[in-house]
Amino acid sequence: MAFLDTIRERAVSTLNQVLDRKPTNGLSKDEIFCRDYNLPDSEIIVHESSAEVSISSENSKEAYRNELLPQGKIYLTDHFLVFSDSYDRNNCSFTLHLSSVKKVERSQNSDYAFALTITTYSKISITIYLVGIRSESERFAQTLKITLKRNLVNNKKLQPFIQTCYSEYLLAKNKVSNEKIEHMPAGGLGLVFKFPGNPKEQRDKSKMKLWFDLFRIDGRNLSLIKTPMFYKLIRVGLPNRLRGEIWELCCGSIYLRFQNQNEYHKILEDNKNRTSFSIDEIEKDLNRSLPEYAAYQTPEGISRLRNVLTAYSWKNPEVGYCQAMNIVVAALLIYMSEEQAFWSLNLLVDKIVPGYYSKTMYGTLLDQKVFESLVQTTMPLLWDHITKNDIQLSVVSLPWFLSLYLSSMPLVFAFRILDVFFLQGPKTLFQVALAVLKINGEQLLQTEDDGSFISIIKDYFQELDQSAHPTSPNPKYKSITKFQELLVTAFKEFSNITSETIETHRRKHRDGIFQNISTFVKRTELRNLPKTNNIDNETLSIIYDRFYSIVQSDVTVGTGSNFMDFRAFRLFMAETCDWVQPNIKNDKSQDVFLNHLFAQWDIEGQRSLSLSNLIIGLNKIIDPDLMTSMSNFFQLYDYKNTGRLDREGILQVSEDLLNITSAWKDGVLLDSLTETAIENAVADEVYKAQASKEDGKDEVIQLPSEVNIDKEKFAALQSERYLQAASGFIQRAFEYAQPEEEEILIKDLAIDDSIAHNAALNPNTPVFVNLPTFRMVVLADETYELFFSQTFRTSFHLDKPLNSKFDTMRNLRGMFDGLLADGLKVAHKVRQRMDSAASSALNPIINSDNSSLKSTNRLRVQDDYEEERDDDLGVISIDEDLLQSSESQAVEKVKKKTEAQTETEKKSGVKYDQSGDSNLIDFDLS
Amino acid sequence: MSFPNPTTSVKLVLLGEAAVGKSSLVLRFVSNEFQENKEPTIGAAFLTQKCTIGSKVIKYEIWDTAGQERFASLAPMYYRNAQAAIVVYDITKPASFIKARHWVKELHEQASKDITIALVGNKYDLVKNDSGEEDDSENSLRKVSIEEGQNLADEEGILFFETSAKDGFNVNEVFIGIGNHIPESNNNSNNPLGGNSNGNNEGRIDLTSNANNINRSGGGECAC
Repeated sequence: MAFLDTIRERAVSTLNQVLDRKPTNGLSKDEIFCRDYNLPDSEIIVHESSAEVSISSENSKEAYRNELLPQGKIYLTDHFLVFSDSYDRNNCSFTLHLSSVKKVERSQNSDYAFALTITTYSKISITIYLVGIRSESERFAQTLKITLKRNLVNNKKLQPFIQTCYSEYLLAKNKVSNEKIEHMPAGGLGLVFKFPGNPKEQRDKSKMKLWFDLFRIDGRNLSLIKTPMFYKLIRVGLPNRLRGEIWELCCGSIYLRFQNQNEYHKILEDNKNRTSFSIDEIEKDLNRSLPEYAAYQTPEGISRLRNVLTAYSWKNPEVGYCQAMNIVVAALLIYMSEEQAFWSLNLLVDKIVPGYYSKTMYGTLLDQKVFESLVQTTMPLLWDHITKNDIQLSVVSLPWFLSLYLSSMPLVFAFRILDVFFLQGPKTLFQVALAVLKINGEQLLQTEDDGSFISIIKDYFQELDQSAHPTSPNPKYKSITKFQELLVTAFKEFSNITSETIETHRRKHRDGIFQNISTFVKRTELRNLPKTNNIDNETLSIIYDRFYSIVQSDVTVGTGSNFMDFRAFRLFMAETCDWVQPNIKNDKSQDVFLNHLFAQWDIEGQRSLSLSNLIIGLNKIIDPDLMTSMSNFFQLYDYKNTGRLDREGILQVSEDLLNITSAWKDGVLLDSLTETAIENAVADEVYKAQASKEDGKDEVIQLPSEVNIDKEKFAALQSERYLQAASGFIQRAFEYAQPEEEEILIKDLAIDDSIAHNAALNPNTPVFVNLPTFRMVVLADETYELFFSQTFRTSFHLDKPLNSKFDTMRNLRGMFDGLLADGLKVAHKVRQRMDSAASSALNPIINSDNSSLKSTNRLRVQDDYEEERDDDLGVISIDEDLLQSSESQAVEKVKKKTEAQTETEKKSGVKYDQSGDSNLIDFDLS
Repeated sequence: MSFPNPTTSVKLVLLGEAAVGKSSLVLRFVSNEFQENKEPTIGAAFLTQKCTIGSKVIKYEIWDTAGQERFASLAPMYYRNAQAAIVVYDITKPASFIKARHWVKELHEQASKDITIALVGNKYDLVKNDSGEEDDSENSLRKVSIEEGQNLADEEGILFFETSAKDGFNVNEVFIGIGNHIPESNNNSNNPLGGNSNGNNEGRIDLTSNANNINRSGGGECAC
């Protein structure tokens, strides 16, 4: 199940990334709708209709007397009833949570064909006149009924939720509502440690009164009717005590909090004693978040900050924690309870400013690019100046966006901007930033470097409370502060910067930014990899790309895994190694070895491989040095680092070797012995043909388009060779294995050789093979020797380009085609034959026979070989090329070693027999 | 204000893991202060400071960058065109030293070719005992030895210092060392206005006042 969950999660996250990259184009109607109305993602429109609405409130029958009823569209989703005025959404809109609906009736006295009256718990009654054919309207009513019924389970959440809303507390305290609110709801730190700024100056009380009136008439939280007054009250700045609730209402996090009422505390509880990298990072910054605000000098404030940040890092580990989030959360917590701040942070990071705080901060970089291009189009003069002087604008503006102005300007002003930001979304950040440049434009045009550019703006932010027109004789004009001027410039002059503008620009620059990030991320990661002497940088780069294409993580967005599970590892190996079958179903036997490799490379024991694990492992396994290659292989099985393989280990090694080599055994792959043999055979054919045709004077060797060679014969020969290698290996391994208890063995040497028997063959005797023995056993067989010196290594194609199709294994047919197409090798061999024929004609003393000198050598070597090792290795032929190399010397050495070792083995075998008589007998009997 | 010698501007960038004391080093250098809980740097902070070294006057334009790992992707924005870099680690945190190594490599690969780099092991105050000498006992908090730092610096051909931003130990020496090391030609070519713009800039930047304590140690030799 867990596995399926992971797959599903990954699919969803991949999907989300794709959607995130293609906003509006890729979004479904429902998704656009949810985003438009700040509803939770999962809402689906179940019905929609054109409608007119009339609204009245028990608290003020007078409130909605205007004759013109708002006309627009009404939407029903799983949990919400949404209305929006078609002409001007700000004129009238509402998002009612169905749980806030107390009663629905069909209106009797109406001129309209069909009308429904809905009464909310906040005593607002809304009459909806459905426009359209009657049957549709009936259906709407029916669907509403069903949906309401389905939502009944949520109704019990309403009462506890109301207890947490300051709006409800305010009304109940003033006896306007009948709700019983016993305690003041949990709120921000400001309730205890005072809110920033002077409440008198901010006219907090009168603002509170205005909101009080609005709540009475238009409802609140889950049942609020948004009228022009609502927007107006936000623009003048929110009163301290209501700020948190209006923020969450504006951005829609209030719905998340309503639906997931216990989740926040559950996350904290579930992860109580856990630690993580994010938590370490959070701890570093707790004392560095708005440290001048009194609450953050107390354990109470610090603990709230810690709770919200850590809860979020558990909720969304892909983002975890990013510096600047600490400042944002510290600011939210002044006005919000922990739970309110938590859900707002979720929405902020995931939806409002996506990618700002991600692991690569792609959103931040993208929006800086967007900002620059907006400056370019709206203030071309300033832009020219900036580029001419090489001033990097984004360096200046990045912190404004990332900390939502909270670390740039005095908090009281930053909070006013946040009021609008939560209402209007990210375009607010751009509008303010443009206004800042516009207002300071004259001065900025005088600067020539980043330094003075920054300091002008720094000074400006500190003087926001001062008069924008200090020298004006008109007192009214004089009383306008720089901050007021900023707001007017931002939201009037730059009102043409809409959400669509931002989206369009984001789309335009997205690919470029993603490209930059992926280059940077790759460069960094490659640089941090351990040194690999067998893998060059270009190959590393290909491995990197393949790794991330397989683990399906998005490095630019900074999501997804950086680790390979076994499935991914297998896929990687199948793409790069000839001997790994791409399809798991076909052949399970290889998986034993692959599993083994996976476990051994997984140094940290986390059941997954990092890129670095993989690279280290690959680097070892493809080592070109024969001795190193054998010892690396040996180490794979030497789990405890004892330098020994026990009986189990020996069996496992031989079985794995058999499995790995099955592709050669089956004739699917050819090793160089076979290739050379085939080349020789072809060359012989060609030579014969050439000799019969020409008198040897023509220097041009022509390769025929087809050669008559028995392909199956070579495959069969190779197959036999591998089978013999495998059986030879296990036989020899046990033959030369040493018994464990060496001390005993030294005691008696004088035992009759006739009862000497290799103790290793006794299944009850503990034996081991050490590295020298292992090497010896491998080197005793040319196929396995070649396997470790070349065949295995060259079956890895780590530098194969990523997009190249999986090339069918080099099979016999391909091999022949290649031979003839390339032809160079064969031509060379034919030439050799011709030359040697020519030289033998000149020096008949040396060799008068038609066969070459070399082939004589070959025969002799083979004879020697067989003489020395009369225990039959099934050697077919030893190619001269192979024996001319140092490897032949190695073979010689090993042979000597073998003999020496055999001597000792025999003796030790004797000793053992002495001490373990009964075992021996048992074995013999069987 | 009149300096007998022309002022040259040097763009300097600070890099290193989070909370190793980059901002504190700058704050110590620029205004001779130390703040216990400094807010983390968001993106980067910009400060300037003048420094008289022998016969030259250098105006450092300091870009102090955010240290958290994920901000690394923003770093190229800041070290672009930098003539000098200070790569900082915390001598009590081995991981920060590994990070420093990466930064040095990144700079060598990606920054201007003739960039002057100084490797700085900060928080020396943490390994001093009460009498002000280095604590050699087993309880010492030091996790990165002075030799390791020096070796890395030698390998990469860069300057090396150990400092304490908290008590000011060796901080000015870092900037003096860099100033001595900056190639002469570099100073002028990158900022054609460097010579005569100092008068204009006076008083604009908020933290230019404390140049005198630098001047006192001015003329000091590079510490390595």
